[in-house]
Amino acid sequence: MSSLLPAVAEQLFRDIQRTYRDTSHIPDDLLIALKFVFGPCALQALDLVDQRSVTCLSSPSGRKAFQVIGASGRLYTCFVSCHYCPCPAFAYTVLRRNEGLLCKHILAAYLCQAMGVTQQESVSDQQMSMLLSGTAAP
Amino acid sequence: MTDILNLVFRTFASPAELRASPPAPVPRSSALLLGENSLSRSVLLLAAVTAASQPGLRVVFFTRTLIRSLPASLQKLVPSPESLKKIQFCYPRTMEELLQQVAALHESPSTAPPSLIIVDGLEGFLLGSGGGSHRELHPGGQSCAAHLSALLCDTAAFLSRVLEQRSSSAGPCRVIASFQSEVEAGPASREPSASDPILDILDRYFQVRCTLDPDGGYEAAAAGLQQVWHVYLSGRGITEASCSKDCGDGPAVAREWKLLLFPNGLMEFKVV
Repeated sequence: MSSLLPAVAEQLFRDIQRTYRDTSHIPDDLLIALKFVFGPCALQALDLVDQRSVTCLSSPSGRKAFQVIGASGRLYTCFVSCHYCPCPAFAYTVLRRNEGLLCKHILAAYLCQAMGVTQQESVSDQQMSMLLSGTAAP
Repeated sequence: MTDILNLVFRTFASPAELRASPPAPVPRSSALLLGENSLSRSVLLLAAVTAASQPGLRVVFFTRTLIRSLPASLQKLVPSPESLKKIQFCYPRTMEELLQQVAALHESPSTAPPSLIIVDGLEGFLLGSGGGSHRELHPGGQSCAAHLSALLCDTAAFLSRVLEQRSSSAGPCRVIASFQSEVEAGPASREPSASDPILDILDRYFQVRCTLDPDGGYEAAAAGLQQVWHVYLSGRGITEASCSKDCGDGPAVAREWKLLLFPNGLMEFKVV
């Protein structure tokens, strides 16, 4: 998924990954950079990271997807190899107005991956299909 | 997928054309076929049969239209029954059914995964069948287009990894979908990207756009042909490939072809 991002964002996630691995902490300069690159959704995404809201789902076929618990408690399924989130912010800000790279849920998935704090969960192949197609009850 | 499209153009080109132009290495990216839907369907069927004729390649073909016959070009160049058996035709009726069927492609590990996923007529899934001549956009049409496109890309990426793990030469998995823009169909506009909100979304996910544009000139009539279409390849998948080719020695990707559609239904591609 990282190749979908501008180089500056990729570098930022690499820096966060390295620093967090060494110190279990994200320094202020990287937080400011995060806010600068991703705007207001950076803070909301960090909130989701603090709440450990991102789970990587895996099914026996090997298929994976991210599931993010939104602030309202709703579950959003995001893909691992391209940017899509069924949340209203993604539909409006990213798709319709073309004003952002991604929503807070996708950003939270990137951050959790970089920090190594993604929860892991197994689902059946059929459950995975329902989640990917958006037909599973959230 | 562009590599298969290029193979289609070369397979159905005149022998003189093939001698004149050496095969160009083309990016294996997802492609969106843009143009009149019955012609797009014929090109998609040519792509399906061409791909299925390659050893080990399987094809899944999603369409709302029952395929009753193959294009005339294929009836002349009869594909083997074994090739046709490698094409799985699926007929989802709604966007929800299409999403479910594409999402379930990862579920059958025993059979070889498809190397080509084709979706015929995205507009039919995205636009509801409202009464009268004006069709309504599916509720949340842009988000719906993004969901389907992202699911297709993610599925192709997953199946490519599966094909790679099986050490199969049938990878990577490509996607090709056709779309007829409502904006393009209007007589006032010849520029499809002008203001079609769905096309803007599709372009985010499909790296290559293949546009079928009718020739407005009199060459067709003069030559006694039924129709002449211009076929343009564009998009970041093509420009990136061209940039990398500029640095290397390989021939550039042919960006424009001409499609001659004869009165007997035969199709022939020519490099422009």
